[in-house]
Amino acid sequence: MRLRVAIVDDEDLARVVVREYLTAMPDVDIVAECANGFEAVKAVSELQPDLLLLDVQMPKLNGFEVLELVGRDVAVVFITAYDQYAIRAFEVHAVDYLLKPFAADRLAAALDRVRERLGRGDTLPIQELAAAGQPAQGHTRRILVRDGPRVHVLPVEKIEYVQAQDDYVCFRCEGKEYLKEQTLGALEALLDPARFVRIHRSFLLNLDRLSRVELDERENRVAVLTDGKRLPISRTGHTRLNELLGK
Amino acid sequence: MHPILGRIDRLAMYLAVWLSVCALVAGVFTQFGLSWAEALALLVPLFLVYAFVCLSAWYVSRATPLTAGGASRVLASSILAAAFASGVWLALTRGWIAVLSLTAAFAPAAERYEQQQPFMFAIGVLLFLLSLAVHYVLLAFETAREAERRQLELEILTRDAELRALRAQIDPHFLYNSLNSISALTGSDAPGARRMCLLLGDFLRQTLDVSARQRIPLADELAMAERYLHIEQVRFGSRLRVERRLDDDASRCLVPPLLLQPLVENAVTHGIARMLEGGLIRLDASRTNGRLAIVIENPCDAEPGSVAARAGGMGLDNVRNRLEAMFGREARMDTRTEAGLFRVELELPCA
Repeated sequence: MRLRVAIVDDEDLARVVVREYLTAMPDVDIVAECANGFEAVKAVSELQPDLLLLDVQMPKLNGFEVLELVGRDVAVVFITAYDQYAIRAFEVHAVDYLLKPFAADRLAAALDRVRERLGRGDTLPIQELAAAGQPAQGHTRRILVRDGPRVHVLPVEKIEYVQAQDDYVCFRCEGKEYLKEQTLGALEALLDPARFVRIHRSFLLNLDRLSRVELDERENRVAVLTDGKRLPISRTGHTRLNELLGK
Repeated sequence: MHPILGRIDRLAMYLAVWLSVCALVAGVFTQFGLSWAEALALLVPLFLVYAFVCLSAWYVSRATPLTAGGASRVLASSILAAAFASGVWLALTRGWIAVLSLTAAFAPAAERYEQQQPFMFAIGVLLFLLSLAVHYVLLAFETAREAERRQLELEILTRDAELRALRAQIDPHFLYNSLNSISALTGSDAPGARRMCLLLGDFLRQTLDVSARQRIPLADELAMAERYLHIEQVRFGSRLRVERRLDDDASRCLVPPLLLQPLVENAVTHGIARMLEGGLIRLDASRTNGRLAIVIENPCDAEPGSVAARAGGMGLDNVRNRLEAMFGREARMDTRTEAGLFRVELELPCA
């Protein structure tokens, strides 16, 4: 099976050595060389490679974040110089990785395993590994949303609210909407519970955007946002809201 | 903290000594015609109270420390304080005798005591001076221990910096990435690979050499930092640019070895490595009026959610602590983030 490979590393020399190894291997095409995560997402979207050789430490978007954005569309082998945290995550989830510097036959063996996996249709545990890319303590401070070849970075403080829509969540941020394949519960676990409150089964609200709570004509509670938008509040949602507001 | 009052074991020992002196004086009093019972009834409560009065010698000893040239001052204040304390002691004695005289059994003894007032006064003075001497000893002891502690602390900080530097040489990231660069160059640019090996060898050797020294010229410290940056430049290519300005005056200043190394490493790992396009690291050292000013500046990720701001705290803390341990208030270190630039400013004496 011929493999179409994209090399992703922010260091020129690191890409050079991988290219050199791959060029000497049969049945491998290098379809892209990417110097950062954004280019990698674009390459996956436009060129549909079979495999990303993905460096973990990169500026702005690290390897785990790239995986979170494109993991369903492509196989990934991680590459790192030294990152105990990442290596532990790879071991836990039985993910293939290479440690810099590595020999050509190591890379060849990794490609063989990728071919096997692709034959079986296996995919990586994306969500679990994405969590490994988060800071060890604290909460997510930005949300990454992929829109075809583009990546939107949403700082959490700019998100007004999030609405569940089937298998997706829809972020409302500066007047625009962004869709991401994720459950509202999984998202809630990543966000700061002092800022984001689940006011309803389908709604997660940024407390900063709450203006007031009103009763509608059928005696249901409604959250009125600073821009006048109205969201429903469930009974448990109201209890949570009161707890947070210290009432 | 009072060295005796602050510790229960010392206080117990102190009171025990007082009670034995009390027994001695009571023995003398039996020679003046008081019975043992009368002498002890009179003296034990007085001694216990006076023991605490004499603890105030601590403040006298602290106010007039035993420094060369101050002998007459120490003597004068000691005698004055002792006389004052003994006056209090006499007054206490009179009060206590008045109380005791209310019992018919003691009244005759009170009269016999009347003649012993000068003796009591002398005892009061002597006891206070004795207590003062003990306090001076304790004070000297404590000062010595404090000095020792500071010295130790300084040594630990220096050792810590050495360890960090040693770790920097074998900082897994730095080392493995450098090796990977060499591995890449071997295929495409053999002379480049060799240059990189030489740079790495020189840098490692230099860090080992200087860590054994107390002070090195700033020029040497900066040369080491530049070698490190050279190696990182091979890795980051055009993403890492360096600009350096060093006054001749400043280059001769002596600085603790590896003072700048953690700051330069921070500039690369938390600055350049996190920027898509990289940027410029600026090193600037100048000397004015006997003071050395060093500035290290690097671009940093200003995007919300970036970790640049809080990262690297450890290295910065170490540099700050070392400066403080060595120069006290004579040195300072400031950091600030402004318009996407992270800037560290050091100022220290340069003789």
